[in-house]
Amino acid sequence: MEVTEKDINHLAKLSNLSLELAEKTVLKRDIANILKYISKLDELDTSGVEPTYQVFEMENIWRSDDIKSQDADREALLSLTKEERDHQIKVPKVL
Amino acid sequence: MTEQRKYDITIGIECHVQLKTKTKLFSEVDNDARGKEPNSCVSPIDYALPGMLPRLNGEAVKLAIRAGAAMNARINPKSRFDRKHYFYPDSPKGYQITQFYHPIVGEGYIELPSGKKIRIEHAHLEGDAGKLTHFDTYSLVDLNRVDTPLLEIVSMPDISSPEEARDYCKELWRNMVYAGVTNGDLYNGNMRFDVNISLKKPGDKKLGTRAEIKNLNSFRSIERAATYEYERQSKLLDKGDKVVQETRGWSDATGVTTGQRSKEEAQDYRYMPEPDLPPLNLTEDFIKAEYDKCPPLPADYRARFSDVIPADTLEILLDYPELVNRLSEISDAKQPVDYVANLFTSVLLAEENQSLLNDALPSAKQLIELSAMKNKNELSSTSAKEVFIKLFEPKHSGKSSRDLAKELNLIQENDSGALEAIVDEVLSKPETAKAQADYKAGQEKVLGFLVGQVMKESRGKANPSAVSEILKKKLK
Repeated sequence: MEVTEKDINHLAKLSNLSLELAEKTVLKRDIANILKYISKLDELDTSGVEPTYQVFEMENIWRSDDIKSQDADREALLSLTKEERDHQIKVPKVL
Repeated sequence: MTEQRKYDITIGIECHVQLKTKTKLFSEVDNDARGKEPNSCVSPIDYALPGMLPRLNGEAVKLAIRAGAAMNARINPKSRFDRKHYFYPDSPKGYQITQFYHPIVGEGYIELPSGKKIRIEHAHLEGDAGKLTHFDTYSLVDLNRVDTPLLEIVSMPDISSPEEARDYCKELWRNMVYAGVTNGDLYNGNMRFDVNISLKKPGDKKLGTRAEIKNLNSFRSIERAATYEYERQSKLLDKGDKVVQETRGWSDATGVTTGQRSKEEAQDYRYMPEPDLPPLNLTEDFIKAEYDKCPPLPADYRARFSDVIPADTLEILLDYPELVNRLSEISDAKQPVDYVANLFTSVLLAEENQSLLNDALPSAKQLIELSAMKNKNELSSTSAKEVFIKLFEPKHSGKSSRDLAKELNLIQENDSGALEAIVDEVLSKPETAKAQADYKAGQEKVLGFLVGQVMKESRGKANPSAVSEILKKKLK
């Protein structure tokens, strides 16, 4: 399967990455190889087989609706951000 | 619809309902961030720190089933969660956990007061995003709302006018509030509506290109925005131009919608099964138990009260579940509700008294007694209203309506013996002699004067119509 520069640009946009031309060239080759390897799976006939969503076969796992401690306070969480202001996370303007 | 429109309108609505759980959908943090500091209701799970595992809130599952019952919907025993990927600062995970492939609530419908049924396509559980506040050169992120449980309810495109869009949203809101699954506070975004609208020429089979108006949170803005969008799209079509498929925002202040982002290049969310959350596989018994917990809905109250409360009064009352609940209690006690319903709409919901809605509502017992006293003419209609308003004062809570009426000296004298004594006394006064003579001479108008004198003598407590009868008899 051929991977085009357009595909790479699309994936980069979806992943929020900005890539150099050299990186794009490498990724184009690598992703094409990965897809080729994975496409071996197409040889299997999976019609009538339920997709595997998870491997633990657990169901109906939920907790009760009780408030517990947050484990980490606001200051600890905010200290992980690049920049904060008025106890909020400051980010470049997005609208 | 009174006017004939040139184009047919097709509207489908997506509604996000915030479920009133104590904790968030995937973490054990307080879900009620009202009046709390930004980022104070956030756990490492909401913050999406590496290695954090979401744990599903069982109450959200139960409320989703109850909401399904409130829209006559089939519940899917098997449902699961998926990741919807996008990058935006309001979502630290880089994806939203939702139910894309296997939603918990299947097909249902909402019946409008007009009798028309709007079909529900499905409804699914998902986590809300955080809140962004935009400034000149930057934006601030508050994650308190991250993963508040939402039920997204998707209607079929069965709605065919802006008025019907408003009616649908209102009826959906009422059903969710009566079902007890949400606080339903529209001002604070507890229910948010996205309205998809397209136009086509009458007779055309194919639907036109649609625009989506995002994030409406009042019934009035839903109707206004849909009306505006009809005008805008019909002007384009009149000119032979095309409607662009896009997301538009509505401004209450300017009364127009504006394009936000074009959907020509389809969004690529790369949905994938959420590996951290095992699927749901609910038993019939479990579903039934939750389904049956759905309390009476507006449609049930319409059926119950249609004989005793006029339809337009009832529609007003249905916006206030607390009032309808009180009427039900009165009706359960086999007492008449018509007078109380009238007090609710004409007194309590009158503009000048609406602040009373913040106080505790008088009990069913108080209202039953008040209604009985009014019906027996022990209270004039003015006095009954006065007692009703006073019953809202905290110091009168628990007091019987009769005691309060006595305290306020408002009970009318109906006892004919006592009334006759007062009438006799008035008639014996020299200043009424001329009026008596005039009345006997055929001037019936002066009866009013004499009634007034008796009322004055009784200090307003006599029943005027009873007084009038006694006077007529005595002056024959």
